[in-house]
Amino acid sequence: MTTAPVPRLRRSTAQVYRQSLWLLTSRDLRVRYSTSLLGYLWSVLDPLVMAIIYWFVFTQIVDRSIGEGPYIVFLLAGLLPWMWFNGAVGDATRAFIKDAKLVRSTRIPRTVWVNRIVLSKGIEFLAAFPVIVIFAVIFGAELTWGVLWLPVAILLQAILIVGLGLIIAPLVVFFRDLERAVKLLLRFLFYGSPIIYGLGDLPAGLDLWASFNPLAGIISLYRASFFLDQLDARAVVIAAAMSLAILGIGVLVFRRMVRAVLKEV
Amino acid sequence: MSMDDTGFPHDSGLPNGGVPATGAGAGAAVIQVTGAGIRFRRNRRGRRSFKDLLAGSQRRSRPDEFWALRDVTVSVRAGEAIGVVGRNGQGKSTLLKLVAGVMLADEGSVVVHGGVAPLIEITGGFVDDLTVRENLYLTAGLHGMSKADIDARYDEIIDFAELRDFIGTPYKHLSSGMKVRLAFSVISRLEEPILLVDEVLAVGDKGFRDKCYQRIDELLAGGRTLFFVSHNERDLKRFCTRGLYLDGGLLKLDAPIADVLAAYNRDYGASNA
Repeated sequence: MTTAPVPRLRRSTAQVYRQSLWLLTSRDLRVRYSTSLLGYLWSVLDPLVMAIIYWFVFTQIVDRSIGEGPYIVFLLAGLLPWMWFNGAVGDATRAFIKDAKLVRSTRIPRTVWVNRIVLSKGIEFLAAFPVIVIFAVIFGAELTWGVLWLPVAILLQAILIVGLGLIIAPLVVFFRDLERAVKLLLRFLFYGSPIIYGLGDLPAGLDLWASFNPLAGIISLYRASFFLDQLDARAVVIAAAMSLAILGIGVLVFRRMVRAVLKEV
Repeated sequence: MSMDDTGFPHDSGLPNGGVPATGAGAGAAVIQVTGAGIRFRRNRRGRRSFKDLLAGSQRRSRPDEFWALRDVTVSVRAGEAIGVVGRNGQGKSTLLKLVAGVMLADEGSVVVHGGVAPLIEITGGFVDDLTVRENLYLTAGLHGMSKADIDARYDEIIDFAELRDFIGTPYKHLSSGMKVRLAFSVISRLEEPILLVDEVLAVGDKGFRDKCYQRIDELLAGGRTLFFVSHNERDLKRFCTRGLYLDGGLLKLDAPIADVLAAYNRDYGASNA
């Protein structure tokens, strides 16, 4: 056995950050898929079932006057990003609690605990893209040049979710009630966001206020891939400003609280 | 030095195994704790409720706090072996956690040059549903080992833990002794210049404990710096040359280990050997 310390290359902070982020993200994905038989199918099945329910209600039962056709594609373009948002924000409430022992014994950069959730849910979101492609082909929805906005939409949504996660994750450690409050707010937000309808379906005047929900602008960017007239420049600008502001607040809150969080977990 | 809240409170450190490469020579401190203090809330159950959040700052119930450590100043040079002594709840583990960087001081500063291999809550990082192999890569990676380093040491770690036949076994099916073996094996192979040990050696059977001791001896011979928390006088005398005596969160004595143990036994009478 060797006793002499083997010289080890010191790695930069960025490298360490990337490594720990990826280790935890892949761990989360692996745990989720190694313990369930259907694995990948689950992350697709969830939005699919919801999309079919709303499609059935709004096209087969009542006459649809909202959104655009093919409605199932319109729905999925809103539902898939919603699943990412809902999953990541919901899980952020347990970002520290779930891995308390690891948080207590390693000194990886603390924001990794939030960002790995955004990343693992984001990967599931990307993995569900084939679903919308298949439905677009079946129902003949045509791709527009608006698809160029897709990377912007993903980036804005990532900024928004990271910001919210940085606010929620440390606060929940001290205010446990917040976990349930967040669940409740998310349910409200589902109907408060243009997912089963479009921003343009709202009564005049209300659409401006609805734009202050950053999801409105972000979803309009996603929908531009198939429905160009869903693109709402004003909503997008507001969404970008709101997302950046939330990220800024998140960084401040997280910095202030991390010291206390480490004592409490 | 102000610590970066979101990142590492530690300096990225020296290029290799704890030997200071700077002109300062052998006397340079690898761990510099200056006036460090940290406070906790007395009742851990006292989580604030939603009502407190909504109530004004005056009406907010402020849980009483106490200093677990206060005004601790210690300077550790490369290659020193330090034993931390004190009764339960006097701040020994907290001091180790500050050095490990898993907690951040409320006042003062803790500067550590070089990486730390913390044998603290060592089995905590493992995931029940993943295999021994997957857990090994995960834990070693989170403690800063690169993939290539882990590949190179993989066999050594598995053999030391005596888990060759259980590589594909989910972690939850291991016995508690095996879990500790895996954990010690991974952390003690991190090749970091500083080793922190917090009473983990009490677990495991005697055969493995002897192996652990031997491994710590090897690391010390290799020039590592050791920070050792224990109630076992024999272990303290075996490994350490210098002792820190913590009492009531204050550093009561910083002297050769024999003097520290003598002072501790004088104060509390009992001999734990």
